[in-house]
Amino acid sequence: MSPISQVLAVLCWVIIALAIAPMVWLVLQPYMKGLSRAERRASDLLRDMLTPEQFHQLAGRGYLEVPSPTEPRRLYRVPRYKGYVQVIENGRATMRLCLQPAESLPDADVVVLHKLMIEANEETYLQKANKYVCLD
Amino acid sequence: MDGVDYEGGTTVGMLRVMSRRGDDRLTWDEQKAQVGDPEALAAVREAERIFTQERAKGATAFRMVPGKQAQRIEKFDPMAEQIVMVPRVVGG
Repeated sequence: MSPISQVLAVLCWVIIALAIAPMVWLVLQPYMKGLSRAERRASDLLRDMLTPEQFHQLAGRGYLEVPSPTEPRRLYRVPRYKGYVQVIENGRATMRLCLQPAESLPDADVVVLHKLMIEANEETYLQKANKYVCLD
Repeated sequence: MDGVDYEGGTTVGMLRVMSRRGDDRLTWDEQKAQVGDPEALAAVREAERIFTQERAKGATAFRMVPGKQAQRIEKFDPMAEQIVMVPRVVGG
């Protein structure tokens, strides 16, 4: 293929992409808007549920520490985004927990879910979570 | 007194149900409901209906009290300032 026809081929693809882009945007726009609205609402709820200190901890360290209401030396590290919840006992990670909502939720809502379940429903929380013991 | 005091003296309860859309909110004026205001009573009934429906699907409900830890509740409480419902959870 000559250099001229290569340039023409590239130009054709650019024109096709430019023609398709607005249509793709029109199709995706409602989903993108809905997604960002959901995240915004979830962030509002998260802010309402946390103290300013807890909110800064979550933003700065990437996790929220929730003390156990039943075991004073135990706390739970809830990640800001998807992942395992770490159980810390006497300053050492002893377990990782995997628990998730049955329906899809924005990440900020999942943090609130863990916090509420630990603080007010710890027994059920531990019963339902899959547990992975930390050996190190 | 329970409830959020807004300017103008109305006292509002709120039900927040987590979903993939963020949280769906429903508010009611508990003072007006207590004196039999039809609109306020309808809002309370609707909140109770949603509460019962979500509980039947396995959701857990928490009553939020300012400055205190959340309390798990089994029954709808129209006097609550804020009720947050989280969907059923499963081990991952």
